[in-house]
Amino acid sequence: MIFLNQLVQGVFLGAYYALVACSLSFLFGVMRIVNLAHGSLVVLAAFVLFELADRAGLSPWLSLIVAIPAMAVVGWLLQRLVLDRSLRGGMLVPLLSTFGLAIVLDNLLFQRFGADTRSLAPYIGDLSFDSWSLTDDITVGRLDVLILAVAIVVLGGLQTFLSRTRLGRTIRATAEDPSVVGLIGIDARAVYALATAIAMAMATVAGAFLAMRTTFDPYSGGAQLIFAFETVVIGGFGSLWGTLAGGIVLGIAQNIGAFISPRFFLIAGHLVFLGVLVARVWLSGLNLRRLRVRAA
Amino acid sequence: MSEQDRAGAMPLGRRAVLTAAGAGGLVLASRRRALAAGADTLKVGFISPRSGALAGFGETDGYVLEVARKALAKGLNVGGKTYTVQLIDRDTQSDPARAGQLARSLINDEGVDMMLSTSTPEVVNPVSDACEAAGVPSLSTVMPWEAWYFGRGAKPGQPSPFRWTYLFSFGTKQFADAYLSQWSLLPTNKRVGVMYPNDADGNAIRAHLKPLLEKGGFTVFDPGPYEDGTTDYSAQIAFFKKNHCQIFNTFPIPPDFATFWRQAAQQGYARTVKIAQIAKTGLFPSQVTALGSLGDNLATAVYWHPDWPYKSLLAGISGRELSDGYEHATGRQWTQQLGASLSLFDVGFAALRASSNPKDKAAVAKALSTLDTPSMVGPVNFTKGPVGNVYATPIIGSQWVKAKAGSKFRLDCVITENATDRNVPVTAKLRPYS
Repeated sequence: MIFLNQLVQGVFLGAYYALVACSLSFLFGVMRIVNLAHGSLVVLAAFVLFELADRAGLSPWLSLIVAIPAMAVVGWLLQRLVLDRSLRGGMLVPLLSTFGLAIVLDNLLFQRFGADTRSLAPYIGDLSFDSWSLTDDITVGRLDVLILAVAIVVLGGLQTFLSRTRLGRTIRATAEDPSVVGLIGIDARAVYALATAIAMAMATVAGAFLAMRTTFDPYSGGAQLIFAFETVVIGGFGSLWGTLAGGIVLGIAQNIGAFISPRFFLIAGHLVFLGVLVARVWLSGLNLRRLRVRAA
Repeated sequence: MSEQDRAGAMPLGRRAVLTAAGAGGLVLASRRRALAAGADTLKVGFISPRSGALAGFGETDGYVLEVARKALAKGLNVGGKTYTVQLIDRDTQSDPARAGQLARSLINDEGVDMMLSTSTPEVVNPVSDACEAAGVPSLSTVMPWEAWYFGRGAKPGQPSPFRWTYLFSFGTKQFADAYLSQWSLLPTNKRVGVMYPNDADGNAIRAHLKPLLEKGGFTVFDPGPYEDGTTDYSAQIAFFKKNHCQIFNTFPIPPDFATFWRQAAQQGYARTVKIAQIAKTGLFPSQVTALGSLGDNLATAVYWHPDWPYKSLLAGISGRELSDGYEHATGRQWTQQLGASLSLFDVGFAALRASSNPKDKAAVAKALSTLDTPSMVGPVNFTKGPVGNVYATPIIGSQWVKAKAGSKFRLDCVITENATDRNVPVTAKLRPYS
């Protein structure tokens, strides 16, 4: 029974990973950029939400309605000011510029907010630790269930948007070949800016659940990036349902590792990540040109 | 007016102006003064983590430096001679490599007469190593002394290999004494669930503290080390539930504890815990406040508290005066690092005074070796051991409780036992966690 609980908790943990990784996965799918500032941007969103809850007294759910458009604007600016310019310099430049951006963001947050540890958990009442006990050994947290539901809605919604709507098809076409879509009157830069705005909106949702699930401070971004990156790699670059699956595989692997011995929690996740990466390279030959947004 | 007095007065006037102009100006002033500095100026380096992952420790250092600078504004009188004192503070950005670099640059470029450093092995060890190598007297605090002494190559049973570097801080024994005393305050089944991570602190605690707890009559249940950054603790929680551990003890980094404790509440373990004794996290109020209602009644242990009955030798203020001054100046709640950082200046300047010639590095190091002085954290006496170059300071059991009505802050830290220093007043009864 304890083992079963490990698996159940692993699924919930995986859904959380998928939610955090969602924006990273989407941005890579559309622009082939590995956004190393991803973790810091998620933490930035968490700070925005915290300020709204703490200063303005808004409930975190209402804060989301304010913060999502605000962060989308940040995303649009990010594309125009940083990503677009660095994309012109080739594959490696965005890697460097987003890495630099992460350092700048972390330290700006520190300048503004200091070293305090913060969390949104006190602002959502008992939700952060309330649970349903199914048996003596299996308990399901209410927040965890909510995270799983939101992950399915966000990832599924985005996937549907990409495959069913005109705008979604435009984004996929641009991802396929930005120079060719220019011939039929689509401005690739505008599409990229829109995609980055969407990605930042999703990062805001991730930031909200990061802040409710645990605590954060200005330097928490790096840790978020690692699991998000592993999730994306396990799930397959650019595939959104894959990201959800990748997160769950990672979460379950870590919890099975911890069941054997707590010290194997991280290493079990890393091993699965490495295994998948090696298998992919070995099976197909890692061809970056073919990694694009795939629609279901 | 004597020559010395004038030399002392002029740069201080300029300093006052430049302090107002900001830290950048201060650095420039230090540089300029460095050129003019002579036999009458004492330079003291102060290295601490002010930004980065350890920034919680350094948060109060700006205020403590202000207090120390004010106390030293008229200079330091040693043997009838007044020295102008220049405190040069540096931020390690929580990077051990940078800490060593800063120490070397203070030694070589600024020519400091003494080095002070505080907070965690990541700061203190590299700074101490640089000072030992260069022959500069160095004094540190706030890190487990075993990790400083044995971690830097001293061998048990042999005389101390260090000539220039000194540390006054707590060790494993202080933790064990405080815990054994604290855990006897409430009736429990004496079964302790422990969660010690696989890092320098966690492994040292597992090796040295765990046996002392078992000797003290408690049964320790250890699910084994886990890695920092773990995001799910279901396995450990199931283990603690199965073994009915009514006492819980951990040494995690703050985000890991928040994740763990929320999950422990979710899966029904937290409400069975009578004493939740946390260390390393929960040192500072923000870390506990962030836990919401789950943070109330967590037990902790402090290396300083405003209710400690000691005064700062250098600034002449009591603990309450220090904490009130900080809260008034910044609007933020006091932290235990306030008193610890100020005690570093107390002891450091006591050594410079005792040396009779503070410009003579060997004399200062010698003065440190026999120093016996009061300080903000209590008496410090380097002839008393436990080993050479080290004095062990107390750790006092305490608890985070809801603050009284009318307080500006949500939580208050109260003292619940005093096994390692009987002069510290016990101000509250330990409450069960649930």
